[in-house]
Amino acid sequence: MSLTDIKDGQSGIIVSINGGKTLIKRLADLGLSTGTEIKIIGRTLFSGPLQIEVCGSRLVIGSGLASKIIVKLK
Amino acid sequence: MTDGEKINIVLAGQGNTGKSAVFNYLTGLHQHIGNWAGKTIEKCEGSLYYKGCNIDVLDLPGIYSLTTISVEEIISREYIIHHKPDCVINIVDSTNLERNLIFTIQLLELECPVILALNMIDLAKKKGIKINYQKLQSLIDVPVIPTIASRGSGLTKIVDKALELKTGKKDHGILKYGKEIENCIAQLSDILKDINLPYPQRWIAIKLLEKDKDITKLVGEKKPEILEKVKQLCRNLEEIHGHDSSVVIADERSHFAAQITSETEEITPHRKISLSDWLDAITTHKFIGYIVMILILGGMFFTVFSFGNWFSTCLEKIFKDWHNWWNINVGITFLASLGWSAIESVLALVQIALPYILPFYIILYILEDWGYIARISFLTDRLMHKMGIHGKGCIPFIIGFGCNVPGCLACRIMESKRERFITAVLVTLIPCSAVSVIIFGLVGKYVGILWAFGLYLFAMIIVFIVGKISSKLLLGEPVELIMPMPDYKTPDIKTIIYQTWDALKEFIFIAAPIVIISGVVIQAINLAGWMPFISSFLNPVTVKWLGLPAITGILLIFGILRKELILVMLAAFLGTSNIADALTSQQMITLAVVSMFYVPCVATISVFWKEYGWKKAMTICILETVGAIILAGVIKRILDFVF
Repeated sequence: MSLTDIKDGQSGIIVSINGGKTLIKRLADLGLSTGTEIKIIGRTLFSGPLQIEVCGSRLVIGSGLASKIIVKLK
Repeated sequence: MTDGEKINIVLAGQGNTGKSAVFNYLTGLHQHIGNWAGKTIEKCEGSLYYKGCNIDVLDLPGIYSLTTISVEEIISREYIIHHKPDCVINIVDSTNLERNLIFTIQLLELECPVILALNMIDLAKKKGIKINYQKLQSLIDVPVIPTIASRGSGLTKIVDKALELKTGKKDHGILKYGKEIENCIAQLSDILKDINLPYPQRWIAIKLLEKDKDITKLVGEKKPEILEKVKQLCRNLEEIHGHDSSVVIADERSHFAAQITSETEEITPHRKISLSDWLDAITTHKFIGYIVMILILGGMFFTVFSFGNWFSTCLEKIFKDWHNWWNINVGITFLASLGWSAIESVLALVQIALPYILPFYIILYILEDWGYIARISFLTDRLMHKMGIHGKGCIPFIIGFGCNVPGCLACRIMESKRERFITAVLVTLIPCSAVSVIIFGLVGKYVGILWAFGLYLFAMIIVFIVGKISSKLLLGEPVELIMPMPDYKTPDIKTIIYQTWDALKEFIFIAAPIVIISGVVIQAINLAGWMPFISSFLNPVTVKWLGLPAITGILLIFGILRKELILVMLAAFLGTSNIADALTSQQMITLAVVSMFYVPCVATISVFWKEYGWKKAMTICILETVGAIILAGVIKRILDFVF
């Protein structure tokens, strides 16, 4: 399932990221790589961006990008 | 340390970790501070004299990685490598240790002397985060010093440490990757030995494995045969790990950061929900968040308007009799009347512009320092996508409400060139504080507050339409939003006062001379009897098409210098505050619409020129001027039915 499928308040672990290496590197620099735990904090209406918590810090991530992050539920 | 010795230190770190606050404390300068990542867009230099030493301090823009992705990152990396600073102070946000350490690891790979400042240690404590910094120090083998930059705590310790480091440089080399990667690095370092590049060998080897474009090109120019070897090694790595080699390295780095964090950080989660958590939950809520946003922004404009109106009226009373006094005591000669117009211009500036600009900046800086602007980005991302940009574009917009110049510069936080350009074009259409002076001081005061709000709404609609059109014209994939969400913090009154003062200083020292000169020139033209001649030249546009008094032609020309001049000069020329007699409501609205959208002011044009070239700057000026005149004419005709 992709990150957008997780409900608010639930956590998932990144299994893979569907994207080019620039994207993957960009995410890794912000602490998002395979095996990282992500918690969904909230999102906006009309499939807007998600607010997530990764290694203790908060990030905002566009839903298009979030749909490329494949996770398994924790 | 001998007397007068010079050392230079560099502040580096991710966005929003407090680098600028450290910089300001050390140098006594007032670099802009705000609670969002990416506000420092150019490196900034200052110096201090400490213990007989001249210390040059450089504040680098916040970056996330030292692998070249954006221009600012290249600047920072190249600076550290080529200028070989005596010491790099890595400012780390203690509340986001893990993410920040990823950058630290990359910094250490550059093999420069590093001191790690664990900044915002007080906020970390509040969040229940305890960092064992002695252990951190031994794990990464660099001095670690806890600091609270906003209060200056721990900062002298850093400088002491920097002076100490200067005497004995050391290499760190304890950050080891997995066996396979280390093996590749070792093989590459071997053949890189005699390559003559200013970078450390181990670092070049890592960057080659990461497929860094710049470094690959540099090495390729010197020793093309190495690239073959690199390709082969990368393939090996990819076979073992099943990912691109650059991803493997980035992954290991972030796992390494996670490991260090878990060994040094202890979190006791608070059971109690803090005020800041509660505010955060409300301001980012799917429904309530939007209502709060409208209330906050609406409240902001309403406060600016009410305070401005009240203050402006007070000043009006004070200045009321000054003209009579002048006429009686100085006389009514040609020179005296020129002299009065200089005074009148300044009075008009103080009376009309200052009352609105002052509260505007105070509120803007409070919101910025508090951390609300990032929330607006979050809430409006979806809407921004419709204009071909993402939520971060909101930040330049909001800065642009204050002044378009920093607004245009803030567009650098957008990742792609296309988005930067679209955002910058839209920023030039945002009513800045100078235009707000016209909207509030003219339309709000004489026609009604609802009309003033209507004009803001209208401006937003125009921005949206122009954004929609330009995203269709400028092809390209919109980049997705990804940004750190800063925690709310209590706005620091000192910072806000300094920043408001900086904005006002510019207003006083730049606007006042321009206003005086323009006032005298207009009055001289008037007294020489040339006014009808110049006005008649512009008559077809101003009088025939827009239905405005002839005098506005020359005002609109002067308005290119600074937009508030349009109203200030109008007031000065008519004698302060007889505006309602000279202009009808309809004319006021038409004039406000032209002022809002026609050519950006000189300062904005020059920044736009510098950032995007003269061709684009001129095209925008012409398009916006023509567009504004057509639009205002149409509005005038629609208003014919209303009034």
